[in-house]
Amino acid sequence: MSFKESSAGMITVMTVVAIIVGSILAGFYQMVSPRIEANRLAEEKRAIFSVLPEAKDYVTIDLEVGEGDDKESLMIFRGVDDDNAPVGYAFVSEGPGFAAAIVMMVGLNINTEELTGMKVLEQIETPGLGNKIAMEPFESQFRGLKIKPAITYIKNKKPESDNQIQAITGATISSVAIVKALNKTIKVLMPFILEDIRNPVVIERQVEEEAVPEPKEEEK
Amino acid sequence: MSDDNKDKENLEAKEGGEAKAAPKPTPPVKKQEMVIDGLIVSSSPHLLNEESVPKVMHNVIVALFPVCAVSIYVYGLRALILLFVCLFTSLVTEYLCRRFMKKPVTLYDGSAAITGILLALTLPPAFPLLGAVLGSVFAIAVGKQIFGGLGLNIFNPALLGRAFLMATYPVLTTTWSDPIEWSGLFTMPSLEVVTGATPLALMKFEGITSELFPMFMGSVSGSLGETSAVAILIGGLFLRYKGYINWKLPLGFLGTIFIFGGLFYLVDPSKYPSPLFQVLSGGAMLGAWFMITDMVTSPVTARGQWIFAIGAGVITVIIRLFGGLPEGVMYSILFMNAFVPLLNRYTRPKVFGEGMSEVQESGR
Amino acid sequence: MASRSLYSEFTKGIWKENPVIILLLGMCPALAVSNSAVNGLAMGLASTFVVVSASSIVSIIRRLVPAQVRIPTYIVIIAGFVTLADLFLKAYFPAVAKSLGPYVPLIVVNCMIMGRAEFFASKHTLLPAIVDAFGTGIGFTWVLVVVGVVREILGSGSIFNVMLMSEDVFTPWVVMILPAGAFISLGLMIGIINYFKNLKAERAK
Repeated sequence: MSFKESSAGMITVMTVVAIIVGSILAGFYQMVSPRIEANRLAEEKRAIFSVLPEAKDYVTIDLEVGEGDDKESLMIFRGVDDDNAPVGYAFVSEGPGFAAAIVMMVGLNINTEELTGMKVLEQIETPGLGNKIAMEPFESQFRGLKIKPAITYIKNKKPESDNQIQAITGATISSVAIVKALNKTIKVLMPFILEDIRNPVVIERQVEEEAVPEPKEEEK
Repeated sequence: MSDDNKDKENLEAKEGGEAKAAPKPTPPVKKQEMVIDGLIVSSSPHLLNEESVPKVMHNVIVALFPVCAVSIYVYGLRALILLFVCLFTSLVTEYLCRRFMKKPVTLYDGSAAITGILLALTLPPAFPLLGAVLGSVFAIAVGKQIFGGLGLNIFNPALLGRAFLMATYPVLTTTWSDPIEWSGLFTMPSLEVVTGATPLALMKFEGITSELFPMFMGSVSGSLGETSAVAILIGGLFLRYKGYINWKLPLGFLGTIFIFGGLFYLVDPSKYPSPLFQVLSGGAMLGAWFMITDMVTSPVTARGQWIFAIGAGVITVIIRLFGGLPEGVMYSILFMNAFVPLLNRYTRPKVFGEGMSEVQESGR
Repeated sequence: MASRSLYSEFTKGIWKENPVIILLLGMCPALAVSNSAVNGLAMGLASTFVVVSASSIVSIIRRLVPAQVRIPTYIVIIAGFVTLADLFLKAYFPAVAKSLGPYVPLIVVNCMIMGRAEFFASKHTLLPAIVDAFGTGIGFTWVLVVVGVVREILGSGSIFNVMLMSEDVFTPWVVMILPAGAFISLGLMIGIINYFKNLKAERAK
């Protein structure tokens, strides 16, 4: 029996192949991961700015929601204007749709208690029917929508109050899924947003560098 | 074609024939007959009545007259045009397919006409005519002729056509018009106005229960043929009287919807609709009398028929109450169609002594 | 085998032994991502890259790999190239990567690639292995693009994301971009091709 046919030979060949493939992949990953990260950030940025039109920059705030097994890591984004004053908050909301989960980015103006925008990030609802939730006429309904007491919907009619949207004809389930997800996420995140207004968390990149020197200037 | 293929074809024809032949109706059975000493020797079934495929089919068409008449009365000229377009396209498609496959043209057996009429009856009145043409072509070409023609199709062609249209035009197939205000035969319901929701949709999405009597008579919105329970009942009972449909199928289907749906009603009457509403709404009646009783796509054994009908009923109720769609008759019947070969196989009555010895016919 | 020219090794994958329409291999991506022409093209090219690279490596190391562990070895190699392709798409074509979703990593289990490695590359020298894999990849790609074009025209009324007809003129057949449309169009396409093949064989008789 040659070495190749022996168990040791098999193990050697497999190990060598695995090591070579693994190291090539590791090297390639090192090479492209900044780009992948940049793509992800650019997408996040585009989504946030589209739902917070007044924001010039934003701060990412990491949260721990829930206790024990229900613990979840969530993020909210504080949109700020040129003077670093908060103009609103953006957050990701997710809920079960007709086919699969619908993920959307939502902007909220905390002073007026109105949404400043909603953008669907991921959905695979029925083309031509449910996927209208990701189109302009439906998404724009959320601009200026009151979130108190809760967002509601109406069918086949123009909205009757300023916390109501019109569900898409024939795609009630998809429309309602968004309303339900929004109400739920707002309920969960509201305490954290209010907390952040009282004691703004200062953590993240851009703002951290700019925000820290400012008080020093005031001291001088 | 090689001889191999021919043999296969004969075999298929035989199998198809067997599958259909058990109860009374006798669709075409291509039997291999031999004459030995003046006696005709042929494979089973040995049925000696005068029924033939065209006769059965023509009677089914007659049975559909009341339904068509009511739909034209309720929805006006539009319904007539839709019926005509589906009928005509189905016949043309059948003719072209048979010519293309170089097989005898079976236009006169009336099965394509029935498919066309049934398809039209499942469509909303304001459905665009081009869509109706597409559905009819799909029903006949893909639903029936691709499998080899009448007797060999697995799924009910009309329902398959309707399912295709449902996936193709999800908006148009669920846009219903209210019945027209009766002002003459030539009233056209406006296509622009999005109106009327079906009783099932009202129930599902808005929790509004419709009154039962209009649903029974037919003055509610819905597909052409599903609005009037009484018209369907007349046609269905006519077929029953003629002996063309097996009472087990409609009874099992409607009974299951009534009882299984009724169970939920008993649990929580405020949340779930009454059993009578379940039976009268949507396509339940049309499905029970004209779709599920399709001789080709229903099982031949008594036990198989019970399982088939009850299964379809249970799935219908589940889709209606818990699914994303307001109506589940179409998918439930199509789904159970897929099980027909299996049901035929496992519910086949045992021959005396079968299983005692290993000597069994091979293959099936 | 040796008498076969390189040219015929190349062309057989395109038509006579086409992976999708003749061998019915790689049906999962062929059905799942042929909902638009661009997706079909991207999936076809990614698969071509993987099949060519994997086949050439397999051909190079074919004498070193013990027969008992050849399948796991091939899988590791294929998976490596698939991951490369996946990372590449994510870094440079994020939109394409997003619309193909999980189907890029799933190229690993595309039996067309395993088939080429097992049946051809492991028994041939480098050049024929590359040519054979390339032909197969092209054969896979053109079928995906054709199915994608048909489904996109009927299902969205556009071709390569360029609108052909406005929705007022032509109501798109939504079914064509749903999974059901993939089965219908690919099934009919294979049926039509077989019909004409039978016709040709009959005439030749």
